[in-house]
Amino acid sequence: MTRNHWLAGAMTFLSLLGTSAATAEPLVVYSPQGDERAVWIAEHATAAGHDVTILTAGGGELFDRILAERANPQADVVLGLIDAAMATLKAEGLFQPYVPKWADGLPEVYRDDADRMVWKFWQTPVVIAYNSDMLAQEDAPASWLELVEDRHAGKYVIGPATWQTTKTYLIGMLLRFADDGGEISDDGWDFMQRLYDNAIVVDSADAKTAAFVNKEAVIDLNWFGGVGRLADDVGYNAVMVDTEGGTPFIAEGIAITKGTDQLDDAKAFVDWFGSAEFMAAYAARFGQVPVHPDAIAAAPDSVKRNATLLRPQPIDWDVVAPRIDGWIQRIELDIK
Amino acid sequence: MTPSGMSRIPLVRSVLLVVVIWCAASFIYAPIFSVLRFAFAPEGDIGLGAIGELAGSRRVRTAIVNTLVVTGLSIITVNVIGIFQVAVLEYLRVGGRGFLRFAFLTPLIFVSVAAATGYGFVYGQTGALTRLLQSVWPALPNDWFTGTLAVVFAHTFLLTSFHFLFLRAAIRRVDYSTVEAARGLGASNMEAFARVVLPVLLPTIFATTLLVTYKSLGSFAIPSVLGGRRFDMVTELILTLNSLRRPDMAAMLSIGLGLAVILCIAAMQYVERRGSYVGGSKTPVPVERIRISSPFVNLAVHAAAYAIAVIQLIPIALVVLFSFAPARSIATEVLPSSFTLQNYVTVFSQSTAFVPLKNSLVMGASATMAGLMISLFVVNLAHRHANVGTTSLDLSFMAPWILPAPFIAIGLILTYDEPNLLVANRVLLGGFWILPIGYAVVSIPIMMRFLRAAFFSLDPALNEAAQSLGAPAFYRFLRVTVPLVLPVMILIAGMTLNVILSEYSMSAFLFNVNNKPLSIALFEGARSANPEQAAINLVYISLIMAFSLGIITLADRYGLGGGK
Repeated sequence: MTRNHWLAGAMTFLSLLGTSAATAEPLVVYSPQGDERAVWIAEHATAAGHDVTILTAGGGELFDRILAERANPQADVVLGLIDAAMATLKAEGLFQPYVPKWADGLPEVYRDDADRMVWKFWQTPVVIAYNSDMLAQEDAPASWLELVEDRHAGKYVIGPATWQTTKTYLIGMLLRFADDGGEISDDGWDFMQRLYDNAIVVDSADAKTAAFVNKEAVIDLNWFGGVGRLADDVGYNAVMVDTEGGTPFIAEGIAITKGTDQLDDAKAFVDWFGSAEFMAAYAARFGQVPVHPDAIAAAPDSVKRNATLLRPQPIDWDVVAPRIDGWIQRIELDIK
Repeated sequence: MTPSGMSRIPLVRSVLLVVVIWCAASFIYAPIFSVLRFAFAPEGDIGLGAIGELAGSRRVRTAIVNTLVVTGLSIITVNVIGIFQVAVLEYLRVGGRGFLRFAFLTPLIFVSVAAATGYGFVYGQTGALTRLLQSVWPALPNDWFTGTLAVVFAHTFLLTSFHFLFLRAAIRRVDYSTVEAARGLGASNMEAFARVVLPVLLPTIFATTLLVTYKSLGSFAIPSVLGGRRFDMVTELILTLNSLRRPDMAAMLSIGLGLAVILCIAAMQYVERRGSYVGGSKTPVPVERIRISSPFVNLAVHAAAYAIAVIQLIPIALVVLFSFAPARSIATEVLPSSFTLQNYVTVFSQSTAFVPLKNSLVMGASATMAGLMISLFVVNLAHRHANVGTTSLDLSFMAPWILPAPFIAIGLILTYDEPNLLVANRVLLGGFWILPIGYAVVSIPIMMRFLRAAFFSLDPALNEAAQSLGAPAFYRFLRVTVPLVLPVMILIAGMTLNVILSEYSMSAFLFNVNNKPLSIALFEGARSANPEQAAINLVYISLIMAFSLGIITLADRYGLGGGK
C-alpha cells in the first residue's frame, strides 16, 4: 500500500511538470466493493479498455478519507457509497457534474437532475432475516418496530454506527418517529434506547459473526447480500422478512471527483460502469439488483425476482442526510 | 543565539538546527495549537460549547466516573501487590526467590495491548481459565471477566513494573543498621518495617503511585480489550468523538485528560525534589533479608507470594504454550495436547499475517532512528551551550512527556487532515508516515532523559584533550562523544522499538489501511471468532515478549532501567 502513496506522489509531481505522461497513469477509483468484487470489476474494466486502479476500504473509512483528502483529491471516481454518504460529499462540493449516457430511462429516485452529479446504479435493501433452524416464522419479528419486544431481547446484533448498513436501519427506524420538520419524538429516542438495551452490541464484523456462531444471535439485521454470506459462513438457513411498514433501501451511486486531471477517462469509465451490459453481467455474477430498467431486463431471473421481493420504506435522503451526524452522535454518546 | 554566534556554527549544524526546529514547530507546537484552537474556538469564535455537550453526554460522564473509579482502585491494589512483592524480594527471606523475581518482572515484558489480549485469551469468554473455573463453579457466566473488575484486575498485576524498578532500588538504599537499632529497642520485624523502612521508602512509593495514576488515567488498550459492553474509559471516548467527526469535543476531552496527567506529574516532580534529602545514608549497611519467626505468618507470606506469581505467570505460560498448539485446540482445550510450529510459519510466510509485523518494524525503526538523531542533537547542543535558546528547544521536545498520547494524536489529526504549509502543502492523515511521526514524538522525551544522563556521566577531559589536539567540533562529536554514548544509544533504540511494537494509544488514532500496525492487528484479532486468527495473535504476543525479554536482559546487564 505504500506503493500507492509513492504513486500518488509521483503522479502529483508529473502533473506539476505538465507533461503528457500524467495521463498515462491509471484512473483511481475509490470503492467499498471488497475482495473478489473489486478484482472482478477491475478485470472487466481493463478488458473494456479502461486503465483503472481500485482502492477498496470500508464505506465509512472511504467516506472519511475522501473528506480528509478534499484539498488534494486522490480519487478520480467515487463508486459505491450509499445515498447519504454521496449526498454529503456532494453538499461538501467534492463532485463535478456529468450526465452519464445511461441516465436515459433511469427512474427518478436514482437520478440527480438538480445537480447532475450523483447517479445511482444498483440498490440493496437492508433487511431483517432470521436463522430458520432455530427460530420459527411466528416467533420472528414481523416489523422493525417489533424488535424491541422482550421476546427478541439478546437475539439480534447491532454493529458499529459507522457501518453504512447499521446507519441505514437505525435511520429507517428513527424516521418512523419523525414529525413533518424531521424532528424525532421522545418516543423515538425511548425506542432507540430499548433497541440498544436489548441488543448484542458489537464493534467488529468478527464479533458479530461470533455471536451467530455461539448461537446467541438468531436475528440478523443486514444488507441483502450480507444475509446469505453470513448464513453460509456460520452454516444456517436464513429467511428474510418482508416487514410491515417497509424495508429501507439503499442505492449506491457513482460520481466524478472535482479537480480530476483525467476527466475524459473518468467520463468513459462512468459510462461503461453504469451501462446495462456491465450492470447485467455484474448482477449475473454477484446477484446484485441494478436499478436501470434495461439492466434489470438483461439480468438473470433470480435477480429480477429479488428486485420486487420486499416492499421499500420511502426515505428522502436529501432531507435526511444533513441530520444523520446529529442522530448518530446522540445514539453513540447517550444511548449506546 | 546571537548573529555572531550563528556565523561560527558550521554549516552542517545550522542545517540540522533548522531541521530540528522545523520538527518541533510542525509536530509538537502546531498539534498543541490545533487542539487548543478546536477545543475553545472551533468556528473561529471563542466558546466553551464543547464542555456543555460533553457534560450532557451520558456516555462521557460514565467514562469519566469509570476512569476515576478504576484509577482509585488501581492505586490501592497495585500498591498492595507491588509493595508486597518488593518486601518478598528484598526484605523477607522467602524460598524460591529467583523464580519469584522472574514472575514479578513479567509486567515489564507483558505490556499494553499484548498483555490485554493475553488476559482476554485466558480469562475471556472461551478462555482456558474461564472454563477451568466453570468446571469448579458451573454458575459462572461466560462473560464474567469484564468491566471494572477485569480492568482493575489487569491493572493490579500489570502496573507493578514501577514498584519492581524503582521501589526495589529504593529499599536497597535503606541503611540496615537502622533496622537493627529498631529491633534492638524491642521492635518486631513488622514494626521495624512499618516504622523504619517504610518512611524511607515513602517518597518512592508516592512517586510510583503517581506513575500508576498517570498510567491508569490514560489506560486505553486494557479497557478496550477487556472492558466489554458499556464500559468505557476517557481515552476510548476521545477516539469515539474523533470518529463521530466532533474534533472540538475530542480536543476538549483530551485537554481534560491532559490536565489530570499534568497535575500528577507536577505532584511527582514536587515529591521527587522534596524526597532527595529524605533518602538513606551515604554508606548504608545492605539490608539483610529477615526470617519470619511465626510459622503461620511465614506460610501465609509464602502462599501469597506464590499465588501472585502464579496469577502473573499463567496468562504468559498459556499464551506461549498455545502459540505452539494447532489452531483447533484454541478455545477447545485447557492445555494443548499436541504441538506444532505451524502458527509461526504462518506469521512469517502469509503476507496478511506478516504485514502488520513488518509495518510495526518499519515504522518503529524509522521513528526510533529519527527520534534518536533529534534527541542526540538536542541533548548535545543543550549540554554544550546551555542558553535560553537551547534550553527551550530541549523543553519543547520534552513537552510530549506531560501530554497523553490521545492529545498529541488528536493534534496531529487536526493539523494534517488538510494540506499544511509546514509539510509542503501535503495531507499527512491517511498516509503511511503520520503514525511513525506520532511514535517519534512520544518516544523522544524518554530518549532524551537517558541520553542526558549518559552525557552528564561523560568525562569532559576527553573532549578537551581532543580539542587541544586540534580536532574540530563535529569531528570531536563523531569520534569522541558518539562512541562513548553508543552503547546507551543502542539500548535506548531497543527499548523504544520494544515499546512501539505494542504501542496502542497513538496507533488507534493514526493508523489506516496503508500502515496497520501490530497492536491494531492484535486488537482486531482479539475479537475474532476465528481460531486461526487467535493463533496468529498468540504468535505476535510471544514474539513481542521474546523481544522485550532480550532487551530487558541487555538493559539489566548494562545497568540501564534496572535502577533509575
